[in-house]
Amino acid sequence: MASSLHVDLHKVSKFVNASIPIGFLLFLAGGIFVSFYLHFLTVAFLFLMIVNFFYMNVQKEHIILNNFGLMGQARYMIESIGPEMRQYLFANDREERPFNREERSEVYRKAKNIDSASSFGSQENFDSTEIKVRHSMFPTPKEELKPFSVTYGEERGLDSAYTVKRPIMISAMSYGALGVNAVRSLARGAKQAGIPMNTGEGGYPKYHLMEDCDLIFQIGTAKFGVRDTDGRLDDAKLVEIASKPQIKMIEIKFSQGAKPGKGGLLPKEKITDEIAELRGIEKGQDVVSPPFHPECDTVEHTVEFVKRVQEVSKLPTGFKICLGKLSEFESLVEEMKRQNVFPDFITVDGAEGGTGAAPKAFLDGLGLPLTVGLYSIHECLKRHGVRDKMKLNASGKLISPGAQMVAFALGADMVYSARGFMLSLGCIQALQCGNNTCPVGITTHDPSLQKGLDVPSRAIRVANYVKHIEHDLEEVLRATGCKSFSELTTENLYIPADTVLAEHYNSVFNTKLAS
Amino acid sequence: MKKNVISWVAQVITAAILGMTLYSKFTDAPEVVELFTKLDMGPFGYKLIGALELIACILLFTPVSIWGAILGWGVMAGAIMGHITKLGFEGQMGMMAGMATLAWLLSCVIIYLRKEQVIFIGRMFGMKHK
Repeated sequence: MASSLHVDLHKVSKFVNASIPIGFLLFLAGGIFVSFYLHFLTVAFLFLMIVNFFYMNVQKEHIILNNFGLMGQARYMIESIGPEMRQYLFANDREERPFNREERSEVYRKAKNIDSASSFGSQENFDSTEIKVRHSMFPTPKEELKPFSVTYGEERGLDSAYTVKRPIMISAMSYGALGVNAVRSLARGAKQAGIPMNTGEGGYPKYHLMEDCDLIFQIGTAKFGVRDTDGRLDDAKLVEIASKPQIKMIEIKFSQGAKPGKGGLLPKEKITDEIAELRGIEKGQDVVSPPFHPECDTVEHTVEFVKRVQEVSKLPTGFKICLGKLSEFESLVEEMKRQNVFPDFITVDGAEGGTGAAPKAFLDGLGLPLTVGLYSIHECLKRHGVRDKMKLNASGKLISPGAQMVAFALGADMVYSARGFMLSLGCIQALQCGNNTCPVGITTHDPSLQKGLDVPSRAIRVANYVKHIEHDLEEVLRATGCKSFSELTTENLYIPADTVLAEHYNSVFNTKLAS
Repeated sequence: MKKNVISWVAQVITAAILGMTLYSKFTDAPEVVELFTKLDMGPFGYKLIGALELIACILLFTPVSIWGAILGWGVMAGAIMGHITKLGFEGQMGMMAGMATLAWLLSCVIIYLRKEQVIFIGRMFGMKHK
């Protein structure tokens, strides 16, 4: 296969490897007979020679270095800047994951308060498998639109029932996963936008509380902030946290889309003294929360645990789940009915969710996608006649109004986003969240990287993002001819036959395609 | 832990050897002028070497001490080369050559012990990358 233009890198590397000792000898001679200054180069070549010798003859870990020597390093160097090069230069606008440039730009424009109209048609592939919203010939006049309002806890008639007036909330991100500036920017933005923010399972929410926004306190499986010495729920600590006026709701985390079936994970690089103290953990090792709550080993105990948290906290209490087996969820619902205990909300997380650090197998391979999970849970609750006992929050890659609208039509009462808000802060999707090296200072505790994340100006972007999401959602809602999000059903969607949702609910949706 | 202690001892000794003649180099002391004349090096040469030694000394006390060791290794390799090719090992020269060799060897030790600070050195010993 040798062609005249072929560059044989193996031969090139042999040439390079041979020229290093030759260079050394040449400069050695030069240093002796011409000028001692040439020994600066003699020494440099000696150093390269030794490094090369070790690469090719001592270490056995890296095949490329063993076979090619120093030149093999070029591979590692060039490869290491690959992600940046692809993002800057080579990836097209719609191919990056998890969010492509188009999707990110939309959030950026919203956050910066810039008009998001584009020209000359959609960049979407219209033969593709994405779900579309069906519009009506008779859009709803603006004045007929019902103001958005979701009241958590109204089903149980709680005094502490909590009303949210805007259709999006900030999903769970702990202090630990995020740095101080990011937490404070989000919290301040949430305050300005009048939406609640989930604290994540990061223990006592010191920085979330500082900005005085409404908070949803998350109880993770490790129960940071409310755990006793055995890792079980400490009622007294929960009462103390729930009594803070900013804490409006409690969310028990059963599973998370990024890593369903596995507990939270905080890499050791990100554990500072303060985080170790707030969570009651040790530094220097990854913190892995258990995969489930020790109290929740059966359906019966699970429902009892929800009841206990509701009674202790006296706040609207729900749980977050990424659906695995529908049959299990079904038995959970049956148990709720038997005990007559219902969560005030269920947060359905799609497997595509993913602010958390997670093993790749879990990120990629486990859990149901949001559309299937959400619709299954919505339908299951309806089938059992208990859908009106609770609210459904949807989360999982819901950063744009289009996707959020689909979630509303599939049964959600409220939309939750985490990465959307990270993007609104200025996230550039560098994928460094677990390494403490986030270049925009969001998921890092390195002060020199957090320096550029200015809390007051970023908070405004968070609030802008909410404003524009709300505006777009209302516009789309009017286009469907509905007066409120609760009127939306799957009738308002066009669900192509090869979407996971249609395939999963073959009989339900495939017949509707023509309608 | 033990590795850390050994490395720190080596770093302090190396920095001491490298730093020993700095003052005389920067003040054009007669013995320095004489020594470097034998190598055909003028004030530019010995001040350049002095500057490199100073940088190495400082780096040896930072979290990137390996770079100090690499720089020290290079300067000392040059010194040894000078003794072999021009200066010889008679009397005072022998002691200086011995010191240079000691600093050079200690630099090797530091580079090995601190190999994780720099990935291309780490890979010499088969360190895995993330």
